[in-house]
Amino acid sequence: MNRAALFSIAHQWFETQSWKPFPFQKQTWTAFLQGKHGLLNAPTGSGKTYALWVPIVLDYIQKNPDYATRHKKGLKAIWITPLRALSVEIKQAAERFVAEIDVPLTVGIRTGDTSQKERAAQKRKMPDLLITTPESLQLLLASKGYDTVFKDVSAIVIDEWHELVGSKRGVQIELALSRLKTLAPAMRIWGISATIGNLAQARDVLLGVAPETSANAVFIKAHLQKKIKVRSIIPDQMETFPWRGHLGLHLLPQVIPIIQQSTTTLLFTNTRAQCEIWFQKLLEHHPDFAGSIAMHHGSINKETRLWVEQAIREGSLTAVVCTSSLDLGVDFAPVETIIQIGGPKGVARFLQRAGRSGHQPGKESVIYFLPTHAIELVEAAALQKAVKTQTIEDRIPYLNSYDVLVQYLTTLAVSNGFYPEKIYAEVKGTYCFQTITPEQFQWILNFLTLGSQSLQQYDEYKKVVIQEDGRYTVESRAVAMRHRLQIGTIVSDAVLTVKYLKGGFLGSIEEWFVSKLKPGDVFTFAGRNLELFRIKNMQVLVKKSHQKKAKVPSWMGGRMSFSSEMSALLREELYAVAAGSTKVSKELKALTHIFQRQQRESVVPSPQEFLIETFKTREGYHAIFYPFEGRFVHEALGSLLAYRISLLLPITFSIAFNDYGFELLSDQQIDMQQVLDNDLLTTQDLKSDLQKSLNATEMARRKFRDIAVIAGLVFTGYPNKMLKSKHLQSSSQLLFDVFKDYEPDNLLYQQAFVETFEHQLEEGRLQLAMERIATQTIVWKACKKPTPFSFPIITDRLREKLSSEKLADRIKRMTAQLEKA
Amino acid sequence: MNTAIQTQELRIHAQDFILHPSGAVYWPAQKMLLIADVHLGKITHFRKHGSAVPETAILENFERLDAVVQYFAPAEICFLGDLFHSHLNTEWELFATWVAQTQLPIVLVAGNHDIIHPQRYEKLGIVVVAEKQCGSFLLAHHPIAERTALFRICGHIHPGIRLSGLGKQQLRVPCFYKQVHQLILPAFGTFTGKHLITPQDTDQVYAVTSEEVIPIRYS
Repeated sequence: MNRAALFSIAHQWFETQSWKPFPFQKQTWTAFLQGKHGLLNAPTGSGKTYALWVPIVLDYIQKNPDYATRHKKGLKAIWITPLRALSVEIKQAAERFVAEIDVPLTVGIRTGDTSQKERAAQKRKMPDLLITTPESLQLLLASKGYDTVFKDVSAIVIDEWHELVGSKRGVQIELALSRLKTLAPAMRIWGISATIGNLAQARDVLLGVAPETSANAVFIKAHLQKKIKVRSIIPDQMETFPWRGHLGLHLLPQVIPIIQQSTTTLLFTNTRAQCEIWFQKLLEHHPDFAGSIAMHHGSINKETRLWVEQAIREGSLTAVVCTSSLDLGVDFAPVETIIQIGGPKGVARFLQRAGRSGHQPGKESVIYFLPTHAIELVEAAALQKAVKTQTIEDRIPYLNSYDVLVQYLTTLAVSNGFYPEKIYAEVKGTYCFQTITPEQFQWILNFLTLGSQSLQQYDEYKKVVIQEDGRYTVESRAVAMRHRLQIGTIVSDAVLTVKYLKGGFLGSIEEWFVSKLKPGDVFTFAGRNLELFRIKNMQVLVKKSHQKKAKVPSWMGGRMSFSSEMSALLREELYAVAAGSTKVSKELKALTHIFQRQQRESVVPSPQEFLIETFKTREGYHAIFYPFEGRFVHEALGSLLAYRISLLLPITFSIAFNDYGFELLSDQQIDMQQVLDNDLLTTQDLKSDLQKSLNATEMARRKFRDIAVIAGLVFTGYPNKMLKSKHLQSSSQLLFDVFKDYEPDNLLYQQAFVETFEHQLEEGRLQLAMERIATQTIVWKACKKPTPFSFPIITDRLREKLSSEKLADRIKRMTAQLEKA
Repeated sequence: MNTAIQTQELRIHAQDFILHPSGAVYWPAQKMLLIADVHLGKITHFRKHGSAVPETAILENFERLDAVVQYFAPAEICFLGDLFHSHLNTEWELFATWVAQTQLPIVLVAGNHDIIHPQRYEKLGIVVVAEKQCGSFLLAHHPIAERTALFRICGHIHPGIRLSGLGKQQLRVPCFYKQVHQLILPAFGTFTGKHLITPQDTDQVYAVTSEEVIPIRYS
């Protein structure tokens, strides 16, 4: 069958649906049938599934003319989705097409939710299309004989690639692809990505560095610009609006009418804690909502989440309070209105959320921005501009993630075993490991087989062994089992399951929150008030409670930074205020009294000025710096400056930062004149000073936690599974200390610093920010009390520490809290 | 090397005790050195199960033991439980060598981690007991909640204390925890964690750094 005949099958089917294929769909069909790889840039709800599933099926028809009577067995295509919640949707769409054009292809799902029985059945007989997650794909590579499973695969599609490209799950995909390319030489690789700043790089990451692959690849863009309107919810009485805080409950009354006016409203919050609180307060404030509003976040059990998603689709819910858990995928046609509570921190994320509403063609998407504190209104103004100019940030890919490589090589050793020379070539072909040297690879191999770089007399290290023919394998069944359990572990805090005493799974919760609770304490979870009964075997057993007051778990994470694009827009807005511009937005107009007060007590800096404020409170001596460069740059700059000051005298700092500036707090007064005279904001020796400041703070230590888990250095256990691993439990913190003292050249230990550098501190951005600051005049204001600008920063409780004092000297000045009687 | 070490004296039931930064306690009247929670073999146990903890760290425990023995020159050593972290492994040979070189009577008050058969200890000349009474003192592994007639010296919980100070400063350090009826020692071993305690005003807490033992004030 020629291409025209094939296309007519697809066209006819589209016609029966009363659809017309978009140009980007047809372009993708053509490119796929030409045997090309590619990246498709298309938003959610645009028909991207049919852009790729259609040509996969047409290709099968072409290669198997007797397809109707003779079914060719075996896996033909893989569809990777970052969220297992999306897999059902994709399966339905895929099945619909093949059923209606009468091609007997089967579609199966394999994720963490798939039962043991179904997995076993799949192993015996793979579906034609397998929808799966990056973790489950790794698990397939960890099972014996995986090579025969994959040998006839003609296509792999990585959906929502923008969500993966800047994460270690993206590295997992890169490595899996490097293996599959060898096993299935005819396989085409396709990615689907929403718009991000670095789409070209995203394509390179997906396809790897082999020139023959990229030469045979295309980039296709869906031109479906949707109109997005941003409206800020501005407090009626600005005077009583808080200067800080992150909940935004002050504006709850103004949200009610917005919810009532539309069929379904999604309220996006930034953290799960905020989500829980908003849900509770909405019900308290407007009890009529009971039964017609719901909540959706990552810690709630799967059944409830699926129920909520279904109810949104059916239009039976008035409002859903959610987190990024509803960012991705599935189409919710009845959603009319989106409310973003608090700053979304990124333009791409904001646009994606905005796009969740108004799916009818030609309809405008409306997104309301609800500021949680006064200064956030500035952010609202900046977002308006960003949406207008389509300023969208990059997703930075990980480079040389040795932890993921250690995990991957163990995976291969667990299943078929591997020969290093062959795998080295494949690994080096990935974007992530393109610069890996034979020495570094040998280091990883030694790490796997010897647990170190040299053989020691008393050692009993056991993980990967080298067979006589040079093949690397795992022989210990216990090692293999622990490894398989570990692959799926999402890198997060130890997570416990929450269950009713009488049975009934409620969701999962981070261990550190539970550790603060005593039996009898009441906390809010999944919208209910629960009393802690006891904690046993990674399970939190609870009873219902009617007590009104309850603690709300504050989940980790959720702290994101402004992108450099957002920061620049933010500065523009502020400078407009300082310049007394009459063209300022209504958001900034609402802030007039705050700017006046800032001007009175300190100053609103102009583009030529760099503001520093100092003042004393009973907490100690505060020094606040305002680069307006986003949280991550401030974290780096704060650490750098604290480090440089700590070289002048023994001193201890507590460092706080937000998207506007950072604070150095100490029990000693900082001589600001000395700081300025010594030119401590210079870019000279930036890299080495920053590196040293990293050693002095805890940032790398925190990064190491993920690395230790991924590389299998610590075993986190597994919810619901009782394993005899008690004597193997250790914190990654202890491990970090041991590496620091005994093996500082360990590549995994080093990686913690490199990652902090590249992903947290964004050294490049820091350099640019400091160069910009160098052109500004420093304005140092010695203030009497905290200023409006400083307030959100000094009240932030998430802090970094840096000290150049002797530990004993610090202890002697400190005190311990007594038990409350 | 020991010149910078600063110990702390403590008087309990008319007896003097010396708290050492390593977490050990010396009892001069008995010429006895008390050490809790060394967790020997822990690193090897991890390595045996595929977690590549640096093996060079294994020797640290023995170096620390040597240093504190040299400092006090005791006549006897009493380990207050959790001497060995888990099952027998090659670190046992290092331990056996250390015991032979030390040439001191050693008593082990068995702790919950001590699952190696007592006969193995006895072969090295170590006496294994459930607890040991010395005058009005009871040497044990587990702390207890209620007061008894005997003053208890024990370990098990790896006590640590959270300290705070001006400028939002916070620290967590291992400590000796003296209550009215017992003294709990910090874990001696490297690669051991700590459990934060909340003292009452009748308790005394002594934080340890690598060189000093520091009495803690309350706020």
